[in-house]
Amino acid sequence: MKPVKNWLLASTVATLLAAPTVSTANSDLEKLTQNPANWASWGGDYAGTRYSKLSQINTQNVKNLQPAWSFSTGVLRGHEGGPLVVNGVLYVHTPFPNTVYAIDQKTQSVIWEFTPTMDADVTIPVMCCDTVNRGLAYGDGKIFLQQSDTVLTALDAKTGKRVWSVQNGDPKLGMTNTNAPIVVKDKVITGISGGEFGVRGFLAAYNIRTGALEWKGYSMGPDKDTLIKPGKTTTWQDGKVTPLGPESSLATWQGDQWKIGGGTTWGWYSYDPKLNLVYYGSGNPSTWNPVQRPGDNKWSMSLWARDADTGEVKWVYQMTPHDEWDYDGINETVLVDQEVKGKMHKTIVHFDRNGVGYTLDRETGELLVAETFDKSVNWLTHVDMKTGRPDVVPEFSTEHNGEDVNTVGTCPAALGAKNQQPVSYSPQTGLFYISGNHLCMEYEPFEVSYTAGQPYVGATLNMMPAGADVMTGKKDGTTNLGQFTAWDAKTGKIAWSNKEQFSVWSGSVATAGGVVFYGTLEGYLKAVDAKTGKELYKFKTPSGIIGNVNTWEFEGKQYVGVLSGIGGWAGIGIAAGLDDGSDSTNTEGLGAVGAYRSLGSYTKLGGTLTVFALPN
Amino acid sequence: MNTFSTLARYLIFTGLSATAITTQAEDKFRVCADPLNPPYSSKDLSGYENKIAALFAKQLGQQVEYTWLPSRIGFIRNTLKAENDNGEGYKCDVVMGVPAGYDLTETTKPYFHSTYVLLIAKGRGWDDISDPSQLANLPLQRQEALKIAMFDRGPGTAWLQKNGLLEQGVPYQSMTGDSQHNVAMQIDKDLRAGLIDMVILWGPMAGYVESQSPKGSYTALEMKSTPDMKFDFSIAMGVRYGDNDRKQQLNELISKNLPQIQTIISSYRIPLLPIPAQPAAKDDDD
Repeated sequence: MKPVKNWLLASTVATLLAAPTVSTANSDLEKLTQNPANWASWGGDYAGTRYSKLSQINTQNVKNLQPAWSFSTGVLRGHEGGPLVVNGVLYVHTPFPNTVYAIDQKTQSVIWEFTPTMDADVTIPVMCCDTVNRGLAYGDGKIFLQQSDTVLTALDAKTGKRVWSVQNGDPKLGMTNTNAPIVVKDKVITGISGGEFGVRGFLAAYNIRTGALEWKGYSMGPDKDTLIKPGKTTTWQDGKVTPLGPESSLATWQGDQWKIGGGTTWGWYSYDPKLNLVYYGSGNPSTWNPVQRPGDNKWSMSLWARDADTGEVKWVYQMTPHDEWDYDGINETVLVDQEVKGKMHKTIVHFDRNGVGYTLDRETGELLVAETFDKSVNWLTHVDMKTGRPDVVPEFSTEHNGEDVNTVGTCPAALGAKNQQPVSYSPQTGLFYISGNHLCMEYEPFEVSYTAGQPYVGATLNMMPAGADVMTGKKDGTTNLGQFTAWDAKTGKIAWSNKEQFSVWSGSVATAGGVVFYGTLEGYLKAVDAKTGKELYKFKTPSGIIGNVNTWEFEGKQYVGVLSGIGGWAGIGIAAGLDDGSDSTNTEGLGAVGAYRSLGSYTKLGGTLTVFALPN
Repeated sequence: MNTFSTLARYLIFTGLSATAITTQAEDKFRVCADPLNPPYSSKDLSGYENKIAALFAKQLGQQVEYTWLPSRIGFIRNTLKAENDNGEGYKCDVVMGVPAGYDLTETTKPYFHSTYVLLIAKGRGWDDISDPSQLANLPLQRQEALKIAMFDRGPGTAWLQKNGLLEQGVPYQSMTGDSQHNVAMQIDKDLRAGLIDMVILWGPMAGYVESQSPKGSYTALEMKSTPDMKFDFSIAMGVRYGDNDRKQQLNELISKNLPQIQTIISSYRIPLLPIPAQPAAKDDDD
């Protein structure tokens, strides 16, 4: 294997332009996120709650909402993430080629724009599922863009001029990036994509002023790589928080397989300033055929808490040991203080692709609640609260069934009971709002040529509606592919759930006005009552929505904005032209094309930001 | 997009079949290929797939036109099934090598059959190995010295796993993002450098590695398929689903030229097996 080159020294463009002190950058961003006029990070705040204290738009008047203005991004692929709003300026990003626009809200005109130089012929062939980007980060007077080609770029927020850039990975090894970075203190934190190529995942922190690498923690490998401290770093096992022994990751892989182990980190990151811990999830283990990688494959599919200054792991918890279904564990982690079983905890809440909603103590990693948030989920009976492990149903184990067997009716499908679309949380209701998928899959291993002409053992994926009730799991013959569900993370119970025709691939936002907003794949922006789920408003934007709805205030008025632009995994059939309308293309896009075929009747390509407000 | 492309296909194919014989001479033989994927294809046209494409084009009185893209996930989507920028037709029409029964394309009849081989570098202490099964039965001390390449999802890795040899595997990515090196080139380099002593490699790639060194540098042992582990595969050409005229045309060319095709392929030191009768097409699309 080729060593990862030290790109850092070669390509860092260091500057020392009037740099503010370390603590200022951090408290600045914290202050910015505390003012609801801004939307200064992907989650609205460090905790990733996607909650806004704004209440001008409320359950009574939301029915009067109108589009106020819109802006075409000029890009046709899938638009994930959402706009940042900092001190009145709006920052919009696009999928590849990753153009960034700074927009003056008063005139709705472009202040500056920046398009990085990237080689499409090099970058696009290594991006598996669409050329998405999940958004920007702000801090220290800079906008941080994680480019598709792994270059992390810092732009002057006022002028759009590049201040520095650094190579975060090696595209030659199949590394790409799609995540939104996060600014913590004097660092900007980012991850890596490329699990299909066997990329070993990591989280990396770069100096906010110079781009110099401060620390890098891998998902698997020796302790010196993962930054796990044996005897100090803990995990949940035997019913208690237990220190890890030495080389806890290596012990769960055969030979050197951890070197191409996957566990990529392309989701969202959150931060607790008081505990000084960064939280995130790691993805599926590589070598897709589970038979070929015996063991738990730690620490793929895990939740992580790392010290923001050093990267040292405080605790780690594996959700899906020895994954057999591609239940990538990268979904966002929300940090909320709640009372669970009579005791207040600083909790972390995570809705995994595997269909389980987890509540853990974020200080210690203690497992508090683990329940399925869609009762059609059937690959496990339950999570054993003592061992922390799922009790897997053999009928739905692809490994148990063997390579010649079509494993039918496994729920959820590989795209998960929820994918990357972030949830929101309202302290008013104490509920989490989950944008969900409601699909099952057939999973049949088979032989194909993939690369370098090597026939190999792969898998055909067919996805279909779950056809079962979210609340009870009873088969009901329904054909909806999506659900929007309100969840009590203190008890692991569903409060209410709305059916959606297609997966809800948009991140929601909850507001002090008692309203929750989300987008649909057909392109509707919807507003529902946070307490009951009652639909209060909908408007069809120019294209399907896989972006996150954000809200902010400008000159005393509350705005709601969302990027539309169909694509992503669910929309890949449309975005990449995979679908020729025949059954033979059902399994393309890793099975998404067949399941989402009718989507093309509802929406077409095109990136647009639509901004909504109440009429004057 | 969907409606448009269906309509475009309809127009193109009805047009083609009505005037197929008269217009085909003016057409180009349009191939989707990897610009650097020895021994299959290369921009300098040194691959065996390039040679076969040239042979076919010549017989059709056409010129070969290439659409180049690295062969990775999304290759078919971005070449064979990608429409031209002007919205007229597709970027290319034929993928020269896909496994028979590949489900991302319609496949022609197979034109060769090869197998994985265990390729052992000579003079490294493994010269006594004359059958792959010997590796599984080595004394522990010798087994621990083994450095053998393994690939994600390759049958070689499955074989190592079954024989308790995963600990000895040196893992490789089965595809890279590197447009300057393909996997066969990397394996060739690492075998020479002694990073690995042996590898279970698909026939064409094994042939490539052997061809880069003086004759007799390697021992190549054929891997034998068992009911639960398949090492030999038939290779065909891929066309878009529904492109039946082209499939028919290619099938005729393959039948007519089979001996010549096999001569080209074996000149690349690729192990060739008799092409077996193909199983009925898998009925998994409905």
